[in-house]
Amino acid sequence: MYHKRDKKDDEDLAIAGNIFAKITKTSALQDARSFNETPVNARKCTLILTKILYLMNQGETFTTQEATDLFFNITKLFQSKDTTLRRLVYIGIKELSKIAENVYVVTSSLTTDMNAKDDLCRPQALRALCHITDGTTFQGIERYMKQAIVDKNPAVASAALVSAHHMAKNIPEGVKRWVNEAQESVNSDNVMVQYHALGLLYHIKKTDRLAVSKFLAKYAQTGLKSPYAILMLLRIAAHLYSQDKQNGPYLSFIDKCLDHKSDLVCYEAASLLLKINCSTPINTAAAFAVCQSGLSSSRPVVRFAAIRTLNQVAMLRPTLVEYCNVELEHLITDSNRSIATLAITTLLKTGQEASVERLIKQISSFMNEISDEFKIVVVTATRKLCQKFPRKHAVMMNFLETMLRDDGGSEFKKAIVDTILHIIEDNPDAKEAGLAHLCEFIEDCEHTNLMIRILHLLGKEGPKTSRPARYIRYIYNRLILESAPFQAAAVSSLAKFGAHCEDLLPNVIVLLRRSLLEMDDEVRDRATFYLNVLLTKQKSLYNQFILNPLQVSIVDLEKSLQQYILDPKDTPFDLKTVPLATHPQNNDESAKKPTVNGMKPSSETVRVTKTAPNEVAETRRAIYEEQLAYFPEFEEAKLGPLIKSSQPVELTESETEYVVKCIKHVFKRHVVFQFDCINTCNDQILENVRVSMQVPEGYRKVCTVECPVLLYDAPGTTYSCVEIVSDNVSLYVGTFENLLLKYIVKDCDPNTGKVLDDEVGYDDEYALEDIEIVWSDFVQAIIKPDFVSAWEELGPNTEVAETFALQSFKTIDEAIKNIIYFMGLAPCERSDVVPEGKMSHSLYLSGVFHEEDEILAVAKLAVTNEGVTMKLSIRSNNLDISNFIVSIIA
Amino acid sequence: MLAVINRVLDWLKSLFWKEEMELTLVGLQNSGKTTFVNVIASNSFLEDMIPTVGFNMRKVTKGNVTIKIWDIGGQPRFRSMWERYCRGVNAIVYMVDAADHEKIEGSRNELHNLLDKPQLAGIPVLVLGNKKDLPDALDVNELIEQMNLAVIQDREICCYSISCKEKSNIDITLQWLINHSKSGSR
Repeated sequence: MYHKRDKKDDEDLAIAGNIFAKITKTSALQDARSFNETPVNARKCTLILTKILYLMNQGETFTTQEATDLFFNITKLFQSKDTTLRRLVYIGIKELSKIAENVYVVTSSLTTDMNAKDDLCRPQALRALCHITDGTTFQGIERYMKQAIVDKNPAVASAALVSAHHMAKNIPEGVKRWVNEAQESVNSDNVMVQYHALGLLYHIKKTDRLAVSKFLAKYAQTGLKSPYAILMLLRIAAHLYSQDKQNGPYLSFIDKCLDHKSDLVCYEAASLLLKINCSTPINTAAAFAVCQSGLSSSRPVVRFAAIRTLNQVAMLRPTLVEYCNVELEHLITDSNRSIATLAITTLLKTGQEASVERLIKQISSFMNEISDEFKIVVVTATRKLCQKFPRKHAVMMNFLETMLRDDGGSEFKKAIVDTILHIIEDNPDAKEAGLAHLCEFIEDCEHTNLMIRILHLLGKEGPKTSRPARYIRYIYNRLILESAPFQAAAVSSLAKFGAHCEDLLPNVIVLLRRSLLEMDDEVRDRATFYLNVLLTKQKSLYNQFILNPLQVSIVDLEKSLQQYILDPKDTPFDLKTVPLATHPQNNDESAKKPTVNGMKPSSETVRVTKTAPNEVAETRRAIYEEQLAYFPEFEEAKLGPLIKSSQPVELTESETEYVVKCIKHVFKRHVVFQFDCINTCNDQILENVRVSMQVPEGYRKVCTVECPVLLYDAPGTTYSCVEIVSDNVSLYVGTFENLLLKYIVKDCDPNTGKVLDDEVGYDDEYALEDIEIVWSDFVQAIIKPDFVSAWEELGPNTEVAETFALQSFKTIDEAIKNIIYFMGLAPCERSDVVPEGKMSHSLYLSGVFHEEDEILAVAKLAVTNEGVTMKLSIRSNNLDISNFIVSIIA
Repeated sequence: MLAVINRVLDWLKSLFWKEEMELTLVGLQNSGKTTFVNVIASNSFLEDMIPTVGFNMRKVTKGNVTIKIWDIGGQPRFRSMWERYCRGVNAIVYMVDAADHEKIEGSRNELHNLLDKPQLAGIPVLVLGNKKDLPDALDVNELIEQMNLAVIQDREICCYSISCKEKSNIDITLQWLINHSKSGSR
């Protein structure tokens, strides 16, 4: 705590003593006019220019006009011979080069400077020159750049090489012509020049694997003087090795570098060897020895390097890292907190259950002294520990709670809350304690997002605990004390308690009544709505409006409403026409995967993976819908909104003449097949490309959209649309056979891609694999937040139950994955996760069939000698569907 | 107080040491501007020059006068910037390729455009007809006529015919420049 305050004081001091603190953009631009005065007052101009650069670095934005004026004022400073001022001018030019117009006017001046005698200015002039150079002025400076790369002065050569590297982004072709000069510079005596030259050389050649491996072999043999350059070679070697595991020389080169006289090189080699997965035990041991000896080095940086590597590989090679436990224990008390933190987290990763408590105690003694970034590392380690030793959750919960109470940035707090949420979800025993901690936390929480998340969680989990009443107080406190967003979240939470717990209902109603007088509209509206729903005392309404809220995709809802307002109809707006938001499958896997790299604040990555798939699914749907709407044929067919698009299925072997992938787009009464074709023959052009097929019973062919021309290696798309004729659900599923890709072939010149003049072409066809329309193509996976109540609501009269023996699966996990994949339903209540060692399990699934019929399924699984036995019960709005599902599984 | 002393010092310096002048050198591309700067700075004539991209800033000391020369590129894309660098200088030197009859008209228009700018009113102009060594180069009188210099009445204007290659008339040009070091707006 005092640590943070100190920092703040420093900042205050700095501001007070900072002469630049009070300058504004306007006054600085005003001052810049004095650059035009003659003679130039170098000292004054230096100060003004420094101020302007300071402003830019503080994030002040300049308009193009301002920047251009400023830039031309600065160019006037070229008349001063003052070196300091000149160098500032270069920096100014670099900063302004991206915003100002006509910056190329300084090209000649900079070229002169970079070829002048003043060694202090030459590299800087060169860097500035490369900043303002684009494709049009590139040729003018090329000659000078080539000279500079091989310049005797190492600073100039380095500047040229690094600038070339930057320019390669925009003008790759031009920079490639400097390969000879770069090669020459690799032989430089200067360590930095050698390193930079190697970097450029690699950059130029990196697309050509053979060339890279050649120069790698060459320099590995001759040996380079610069340790930095060798470092680079090592990384290249490791990269190449990871792509091509068969290749021995790379590994032996890395191996050889373990004995290099520079410790920099030794460490890089060692850490690469440890991180590469399949190195042999011999070199792993040697690499490990390097790290181990580094742990007891007297130099902090060496210790840090060693511990960091060990920390990163602790999950990969726990047994190996355990050998250093003695050294690691010593490092816990290291005066460098970064080292100590890494040591402890490494120990946590490898440690035994017994030592956990002691380590946690030790680390909490200096939690206050480390930066947020490292705190997050600790939190991540704690989370992993919880997964490893679920029984220790009490200790860790306490630890997390203390951290929650301490000061810290919002990233850090989020990491802790994420961890607690995970623990709660993974470990039912920890639930009550965790909820209690979170309740304490929201009593004094300044992070809006976290607070709302926690309130939501309380509403979801709280009612199911043994004493739900205790949480009401915390939630109601928020309702009285906080601002509108929290109040609204609190109202929703309260309503859930009321819907779930009969005995609390009267109390909740009283509380909600009080909220009817709140100032904020949203809060009041929510309270009124929930109150009225609760007063009806109807279970089914509770379910519909409180426990399992709206599941349409918000983006589409907005779109549909907009359309409705633009074009009002007599009928009221029907929510059922809005596409549903589907639950993306399998994304939980990636979110739960432990990050091997312990240094990264993992909360960030976890959050990204959690939200991304959903958004991707949304945008994917929107893109396809837009693409399809482009064709008038489909408009005529009146497809309606797109319900679901399947993943692409390959209809050809890869590496054949034509590669065809099919995506199935399912609509209300239609299915559109999208065939993405690629022509891999460079001497052919295909015209009028289409796909013909034999349509099974229950479907009728509507139209096809041809792809007019399919050029070599350029993707083209043709569509076929079929209508669902039958109302019989069982005919929805079917196989489309005899798929033929039909087209007119024309020969063409492989080099130019032009059709030969007298070529008329001939019809041809190409057989594709069959397409199956399966059950899951029609099903949208939609999570029911409260499965049990939804299940009860549908009632037993639509239930169909059957028992199956699934002999092909050995474990419940395996069976669950396949069932979810096959049925296309979403797992609810986290029932897709099976606690280890359990012999039986219940899986709850939910989804929507063809955008209208709700499906809920309970699969009770048990492991037997014969594999897995499943008792599947299905409830649905439509008994036909329940029957049908059971029949297709059988 | 300090400022007063500084002023006195500056004045003394300028008395005994140096005078400074600033001039801008403009004209169409390939008329010999950068060559001219090289000739007066180091008395060297180079045949193969590359086009100036933007500008060059050179300082030349002749006698007790330091001449700062802004040598601006003559390609069309730089012409809009001429005015910016001409503001407040002691003199504008306008270079014309006297042997390139096709470009004379364009050169005339650019010159008059430039001198019409209100910001540059009153600044003395020296028009130089370069490359007089070439066979069909215009002489001074033809140049004055072709460039329509007679209409320019509001400022001092002068025209010489020179050759950077043979270094002829460079001396009178320099003399003219030095004479104008004190005049003009400072």
